[in-house]
Amino acid sequence: MSGKNWRFILTGILIVLAAISLWDTFKLWTMDEATRTDLETNDPATVTAMQQKAIRLGLDLQGGIHVVLAVDTAGFPDESSRDDAVDRVMQIIRNRVDGLGVAEPQIRRMGANRIQVDMPGYTDAQRAEELIGQTALLVFKLLETNDNAALLIKRLDSAIAEIEKAKLSEEELAELEADAEDAASDAPDPSIAAELLGDTVTDTAGLFDYDENELAAEIESPLSSRLRPALVSSRTNTYWPAFSVDKKERERIEHWLNDPRVSKVFPIDVQWAWSTRSEVRESKEVYTIYFLKRKEQFLGKFLESINMSRSQTGQKVVNFALSGQPSARFSQLTGANIDKPLAIVLDDRVESAPIISSKIRGNGQITMGGSATMEDARNMEIVLKAGALPAKVEIIEKNVVGASLGADSIKKGFYSSLIGLALVLTFIGVYYRLSGIIADIGLLFNIFFLLSILAFLDATLTMPGIAGIILTIGMSVDSNILIFERIREELRTGKTVRASIEAGYDRAFVAIFDSHVTTMITAGALFLLGSGPIKGFAVTLFWGILISLYTAFVVTKQVFDLRASSQRLSI
Amino acid sequence: MFRLIGETNINFIGARKMAFFVSLALVGLGVFALVMITTGQGNLGIDFAGGNMIYGYFEQPVPIQDVRNSLTADFPDAEITELSDFEEANAFIIKVKQPETEQEGRDRAIQLRQAIAGAFAENPFTVESEHVIGPSVGETLRKDAMYAVLLSLFGIIVYISLRFDFRSGVAATIATFHDVLAVLGITFIIGIEFDLLLITALLTLAGYSLTDTVVVYDRIRENLKKYRSKGEFVAAINNSINEVLSRTVNTSLTTLLVVGTLFFLGGEVLRTFALALIMGVLVGTYSSVFVASPIVVEWEARFPQRFKT
Repeated sequence: MSGKNWRFILTGILIVLAAISLWDTFKLWTMDEATRTDLETNDPATVTAMQQKAIRLGLDLQGGIHVVLAVDTAGFPDESSRDDAVDRVMQIIRNRVDGLGVAEPQIRRMGANRIQVDMPGYTDAQRAEELIGQTALLVFKLLETNDNAALLIKRLDSAIAEIEKAKLSEEELAELEADAEDAASDAPDPSIAAELLGDTVTDTAGLFDYDENELAAEIESPLSSRLRPALVSSRTNTYWPAFSVDKKERERIEHWLNDPRVSKVFPIDVQWAWSTRSEVRESKEVYTIYFLKRKEQFLGKFLESINMSRSQTGQKVVNFALSGQPSARFSQLTGANIDKPLAIVLDDRVESAPIISSKIRGNGQITMGGSATMEDARNMEIVLKAGALPAKVEIIEKNVVGASLGADSIKKGFYSSLIGLALVLTFIGVYYRLSGIIADIGLLFNIFFLLSILAFLDATLTMPGIAGIILTIGMSVDSNILIFERIREELRTGKTVRASIEAGYDRAFVAIFDSHVTTMITAGALFLLGSGPIKGFAVTLFWGILISLYTAFVVTKQVFDLRASSQRLSI
Repeated sequence: MFRLIGETNINFIGARKMAFFVSLALVGLGVFALVMITTGQGNLGIDFAGGNMIYGYFEQPVPIQDVRNSLTADFPDAEITELSDFEEANAFIIKVKQPETEQEGRDRAIQLRQAIAGAFAENPFTVESEHVIGPSVGETLRKDAMYAVLLSLFGIIVYISLRFDFRSGVAATIATFHDVLAVLGITFIIGIEFDLLLITALLTLAGYSLTDTVVVYDRIRENLKKYRSKGEFVAAINNSINEVLSRTVNTSLTTLLVVGTLFFLGGEVLRTFALALIMGVLVGTYSSVFVASPIVVEWEARFPQRFKT
């Protein structure tokens, strides 16, 4: 027996590994709605980590957007510059998609000049298209002064307050007024806006100091009560109008600022913009909102030879060079604005707003903050290069799958697999009795192993992928039928149980092996050349067949070996 | 022991003349379909032809004819299918194929929605899913699919020739082509769209039909050793088919069980895929018995090798 023990040990190890690999998928799929929403709000990092380890669902199953872009590289002189251009476009799109807050975007290069962008779970097609399809524009802008911004914010506050109050019913309003009467003695009537407009606000410290009565502040200063100063130039100790906003408040603020009744308050030469990425401040995930002078001071396309390096003090820096006319303009711009921040704006989002420390002539350098990682520096490098990107992109394929269609597909895929499986298990169990039941258990192992491999490989499960699993069931059933029919034949010729089992497995092996190999060749070809959903089919088929070989010849065989000494075989 | 098929002794090889004509008709149909498809007259799906697909539903019931009428002015070639098993009632799939340019494809996406919104002002149409494939992507997919088919067929032929003798390799390949062409022909006649999923189904059934053939050949190889002394080539082959018949039927049955569930419960997306596989199982079973083995018999009859397999 000792020679055969390895199979028990190997199978045991595999079961444990498979269980570990499937654990997150199991937790995620069996989690009820309430627990999940609870976890998503309180601990999004854990959910993301779990999603990464769990089986990934294709766009067709969970809804989402799939876009293929063609980069127009006709204007580039040689292969390597074309290649470089596509890579840069890819990076820009990655930045933009990250800004959208898609959970697990997949951005891949397809061939020479195509880029595939998959955004699972995201279904706002229009916004995604706008974001992906537009050509990158990198510009440098100055920030508004803090005083002007404070005045503007105060105006915005009252405009928003008015809108919010108008939404409330009279009773709710009265209630709120009563609550707020201590701090805000002025009754909220239309004249309040005029009064505030008449004020000249210079004391910015007071504007953000709302501890006395938070509720009143929330009502009267809906915007400023949600802003925290985020940018100060250390040398002159001056504040600049860049404010941290809790990630959860971002959408609300964006909604307010886009309201025509609010946006008309903005002077023509002032605009607001979000930071590209969120960061963690005081253990909260925050975005930064900037108040910028609308004028484009300088265009990013003039930057040359951009590269990152380390300064002598070990800080990460990104270098760039300028030449000719633009160089003179940049030197004028920086010379006149020393100690002021210069916002680097890519596609209307602020990448960063470094403080100008000296007049920049031919060569400039952006020093990253102390906490900046290599990744941040690399990102800055890419962003600066993006400004020099002349390539146009065109959307050549778009697939938008609604979440409910995805859910519908899952349900159908799940039920049809389950019913198909039940039918087959019943047939085998009835037809081959105890042996059939052993084969059935082998089949279940098959599916278990297959799912765990999908989770382990980070493979994507698509609707055709489910079809692949179902076909795998068919294939492994075939292996069992071949073996059992052969054993039956051997038994009929009067052989002993042990000899029949041995002969059955031996003889059937060749046919099973050949048929599995040919199907694997097909799966391999489909995987190499297929796209998206077809790839999903090929992956499940390929691994399913490999596992089917294993379960038939190792897992069920070891059970049969245990039965070899019996007089009669239930088959 | 519960058996569906007992020991049989059917003269399959004897029926090969009849089978020959059936197969010839099926293959002829397939070749016709292949010619039509490659010359662009086939019913290509939007993934190969390029085009737009909208999957959505109306709030109130709408007869399919009304949907068609609303689109005939702008899109006379629009294909409209009513969906019966989607969660939302009154669901339709609308397809428009072969845009000339990338831009046209994108414009159509908007025009389609507008045309429907205009015709059914009182009855809003919610778009659940939308697919736009530009002509260049269609071309890439066509090319990739062709390579995938060629690559897998080539791989299979090489493998079979290595594992068996040359004659069996050729015969198995003919049987496989026979099955693929037969199913292609039938799907073409009943108007199933030729798309990526159908190609996948065809390749899958190629693998399946090969499995069937390999199982029979494997048995023939084994039996020829036994029958060598008797010199009964045809009997050896006929017996082999009869011996594996029980397996052939059982496997076809279980495969039909799973593919059948896919067909009935797998939803619209997988229905044609499942249908092609159902036909594939039937044709594949038939061909392993009536095509693959008779070829070897005929070959042996004309150029005897004294079964040195």
